[in-house]
Amino acid sequence: MRAVVLPRRRYREARYAYATVLPVVLLVALFTIYPLLFAFVTSLREVVLYRPWSQPFVGLKNYLDVVRSEFFASAWVHTLTFVMGAVPLATVLGFAIAHLLNGRTRLAAWLNVTILLPWAIPTVISGIIWAWIFNSSYGAFNGALYSLGLINSYVPWLSRPRSALLCVLFAHVWKEVPLTSILYLAALQAIPDELYDAARVDGAGGLAILRRVTVPLLIPTTLIIVVYETMVGIVTFDLLYVMTGGGPAGATSLISYYLYNSMFVSYNFGQGAALAVLLAAALVVFILVYMRLLRSEEIYAT
Amino acid sequence: MRRARRLGRVLGSLLGLAVAAYILVPFLWVALSSIQPEKELFRVPPNWIPRVLTTDNYRFVFTGQFPAGYEETGIARGRISEKARDALPALRNSTIVAVTVAMANLILGTMAAYTFSRLRFPGAGPLYTFVLASRLLPPMAVAIPYYLIINRLGLLDRYAALILVHSVFTLPFSVWFLTLYFRRVPPDMEEAALVDGCTRPQALLRVVAPMTAPALAATAAFSFMFSYNDFPFALFVTSTIRSQTIPVIVANTAINPDVSFGVVAVTVVLTMLPPLAFAMIFRNYITRGLIAVTTTR
Repeated sequence: MRAVVLPRRRYREARYAYATVLPVVLLVALFTIYPLLFAFVTSLREVVLYRPWSQPFVGLKNYLDVVRSEFFASAWVHTLTFVMGAVPLATVLGFAIAHLLNGRTRLAAWLNVTILLPWAIPTVISGIIWAWIFNSSYGAFNGALYSLGLINSYVPWLSRPRSALLCVLFAHVWKEVPLTSILYLAALQAIPDELYDAARVDGAGGLAILRRVTVPLLIPTTLIIVVYETMVGIVTFDLLYVMTGGGPAGATSLISYYLYNSMFVSYNFGQGAALAVLLAAALVVFILVYMRLLRSEEIYAT
Repeated sequence: MRRARRLGRVLGSLLGLAVAAYILVPFLWVALSSIQPEKELFRVPPNWIPRVLTTDNYRFVFTGQFPAGYEETGIARGRISEKARDALPALRNSTIVAVTVAMANLILGTMAAYTFSRLRFPGAGPLYTFVLASRLLPPMAVAIPYYLIINRLGLLDRYAALILVHSVFTLPFSVWFLTLYFRRVPPDMEEAALVDGCTRPQALLRVVAPMTAPALAATAAFSFMFSYNDFPFALFVTSTIRSQTIPVIVANTAINPDVSFGVVAVTVVLTMLPPLAFAMIFRNYITRGLIAVTTTR
């Protein structure tokens, strides 16, 4: 064995380094390594609440049960429907709002102050507000349609499978748009003015500039937003808890809510863990793509 | 040409107003609901401009005195709305937890990030990557193991449980964000201080911290808001008003269809005040921080 002899100063510096880094590392390690091991081990056993004394090893049975379950398939279908609605909406709206924020009008200055507000409040609170707006006996949305004469009686929007998912989507986009518009705004402001001047000198009109200059330069930001919003859409939970409780008839039971349901309502921990591992695996794919996108583009110099 | 431009400007303003309405009307609607008697809220079609204003709902949440004409719908309903009175202790719980989490991030996060950005020591790279990668786990997947850890530590339904879990979630972001920020600060000044006999902690506190104040403010704001806004974990590791935070109380009150709408509107307004104030005060830091967090590797 070779003794490692560090110079006194180096030794003291290393000791300082570990003393400052280890509190964070140990805390994170406790809450990362144990949950990972736990999820793997549990997913291979039959663990149900009403039989806590026997947890037989069942191999991949939980995984097979989960994948074969029709609820699993429908949860993914709902999740993908939701994501395919939420991502384009949040992206396009963010793009449009960023242009408004970038203006020099009084309205723009005012929007700049208020745009963060939906992002700032707890997601459950925004869910509660939107659930009220769509409420069937006193909701503002029903009230507005009624006042305008578009409906004759209030409609239970949150109790119909299709409109319920739309309502959640509306609330979700409201919460996400501040982030996407701020990201687009930062990207817009990073485009040098000379490019616009050059395009104008060449005789390009507003639309041509938008199509030939702005949009191509915003593609990296758009990719980041799309992948990020996809991940956020997949793990949506809070809104569903307060707006629909996964209903009606499971129509808004997205994958995260389904996971919550199988663990905390059905108390089938083995299947829940298997589901958690599958969800984590699916997300890791997205995260890897996301990291790849960030690495390939050095867009911002904040 | 000029007419087209004016048309464009008008369209832009209209779009801007529509956006402003989309963003603000929900806030307005809740604020107005909180100061109207319940009967008014159930009018079809609604009074778009409130006709009767009252502070009864606020008085109920603060003093427990029922709003006028409230009991007529039954005693059970009173008991359900009684839960809304937990909003005040819950606000206190939320604030204590969120402030502690922000402090933990400022102290532990800053120290760790400074070390990662300046010192070379065996294992620095892997430890840094490990801390960042820990956030790849989806929250819902770790809920039960978290519960078991907290239970084993004997911390169920205590502030410490929430502070631990929220710190675990925010510290990786803070460390990552601050490390990137510290790396951009030229080390000349602190090296001069170190040569003059300053220790590392002193150099961090007296030289680096003042220069990176905006990043520190963003870190504090982010961790405060994450902790204050967190719902699922607060739901899992708390069980009584001893530690339940405001999102849990408001959510569990509001999902009961029998609850008084006006009273819950009050709790919603109270819940939103701290984060909205935070968002306004730290607007610039938060904006910059949001951009950095989502777009930096």
